Amino acid sequence: MDVISNTMWLMIIPLILIQLILMVVSIFDIVRNEQTNGPKWVWVLVVIFINLIGPILYFILGRRND
Amino acid sequence: MSQWLILLQKELLENVRNFKWIWVPLVFIILAIQQPITMYYMPQILESVGGLPEGAVFDFPVPSAEEVLATSLTQYNSLGVLIIVLITMGVIAAERKSGVAAMILVKPVSYTSFVTSKWFSVLLLVWASYFIGYLGAWYYTGVLFEFVSFSIFMQSFLMYGVWLTFVLTFTVFLNTFLKSSGLIAFISLGSIIIMSLISSILSNALSWSPALLGGYVTEFIMFAQMPDGAVISMVVSIAVIGIMLLLSVLLFRKNELAE
Amino acid sequence: MTVISVEGLKKNFKNLEVIKGIDFDLPEQKVVALLGANGAGKTTVLKTISGLIKPTSGTIHFNDENDKDVRHWIGYLPQFPVFYNWMTGKEFLLYVGRLSGLTKHDAKQRTEELLSLVGMTEAKNRRIGKYSGGMKQRLGIAQALIHQPKLLILDEPVSALDPLGRREVIDLLKKLKNEMTVLFSTHILSDAEEVSDEILFLHDGVIVESGAMNELTAKYKQPKITLVFERNIEEYIEEIKSQTVFQSVEINSNEAVLLTDDMEGAKKVILQEASRNNWPLTKFEMSSTKLEEMFIKVVQGK
Repeated sequence: MDVISNTMWLMIIPLILIQLILMVVSIFDIVRNEQTNGPKWVWVLVVIFINLIGPILYFILGRRND
Repeated sequence: MSQWLILLQKELLENVRNFKWIWVPLVFIILAIQQPITMYYMPQILESVGGLPEGAVFDFPVPSAEEVLATSLTQYNSLGVLIIVLITMGVIAAERKSGVAAMILVKPVSYTSFVTSKWFSVLLLVWASYFIGYLGAWYYTGVLFEFVSFSIFMQSFLMYGVWLTFVLTFTVFLNTFLKSSGLIAFISLGSIIIMSLISSILSNALSWSPALLGGYVTEFIMFAQMPDGAVISMVVSIAVIGIMLLLSVLLFRKNELAE
Repeated sequence: MTVISVEGLKKNFKNLEVIKGIDFDLPEQKVVALLGANGAGKTTVLKTISGLIKPTSGTIHFNDENDKDVRHWIGYLPQFPVFYNWMTGKEFLLYVGRLSGLTKHDAKQRTEELLSLVGMTEAKNRRIGKYSGGMKQRLGIAQALIHQPKLLILDEPVSALDPLGRREVIDLLKKLKNEMTVLFSTHILSDAEEVSDEILFLHDGVIVESGAMNELTAKYKQPKITLVFERNIEEYIEEIKSQTVFQSVEINSNEAVLLTDDMEGAKKVILQEASRNNWPLTKFEMSSTKLEEMFIKVVQGK
């Protein structure tokens, strides 16, 4: 059982890593940009708590396109 | 040609600065590789979640590698298409709306280059994201199940890529005469859904429909054989892509940009 | 030498006639003001010349040796210039420079020249999104000049600026005159008077007056006498109204404006009448009309 969960982790780690990168990049961008569509803190929460869809929503809807 | 490259360079730089070149590939990777993982660990996941009655024995049929790869690819049918439409919805419309398109087009810039460079920049982003995403799925499927032949992978990659290109070209096409990004996304998604529905209902009569490529590619991966209608559907798709691109340029040229 | 000739230019939007057939030539190395009230059709004329919109009928002919894309020779600044806000000022100039056909090296050189010309060298590496309105206006002028156009078209280049910024732009226009023809629109006569050699006066889609600035000033300069009374003006003015020396008499409560060609004669008539009938005059002023009055008259439809 232990062996199986080790390989399981090995498989899942990249997935978690990518989600993490997405989250970090989104938050970096939210903080750096002067304005977002809607309050910044809401976007930070959305990005942290909604897996995968959160950052996508931010980049498509929340980001000011300039 | 050199002007076309300058226009393309600007599009690429813009998509680097607004992080599209980071988040779109990452999302495409996640979409595809989570499929083999969940399919492989499904029994364990269910077990650990519990709730199975004492003594109940569930026999999970182990899916074939081909099945897993095909399901991974179908992940792009909904969310993948949605993302493509959303990143393409304002590619020209937003610039026209803000007025910056007029600033650029009073310079001696070819209208054809203006439209095609934008189209190509989205094409590059989508194909690159789609390639590494699907390649990831192929690799995961290979490690967890069995490796599907690389030639099947490449062929299915190209085949389904035609459909994704169809979607993005259609969205660019709408951009050349509509100014509202929201409306463009709505019409684009609506048309794709209607097209897919009609094509699957009348799949015999409309066997050439580009919207059937998603189904054909699944069949192809499973049986390693080109299904009837797949080739003609690809040819039709590529032709329509060409026509839409041509019409995009013509319509864009006809438009009065200052408005 | 004319730079551009416009003949019978008409433009309709839907069924609305915005430009109702205008003709004009723009001479080389002159500053020409396109003057008119808001809604006269100035922007439409400028956009049509720059090729952004197509005329409903009429021709725009650019006098150039070869029949190349006219956009090579035209620099255009819209009323509200917009940029890619994610670029820096320098990047934008380089970009439009390259698009206009400059080599990398030339574009770089030209960019630096223009940045210093419009006083933006310090801000060149900041994102345009962070620029103020005045800075965007200056960057707008720089981008219009990037490919050394023969005709520079500016849509209301000064109206949005504060007095200091306005001054800078006007001085810049004077400088540019040596290199190219400048056509700029404005609804403020004094801006036109200050810097332009020629005026095109657009009203309601028609050019109602045009010509060299000094000719027009002379044409509309007419001796005028203003009288202000303490009260009850009619009875006094009645007495002199019929005199042929006055071309027109206008009464506005207790003020009268009399136009004449013969200032001396008019003065004599008035002063004689005034002393004989003991007019309750509080003010007697001799002056001349200005272009401004013509402008206001036409705009108000008198």
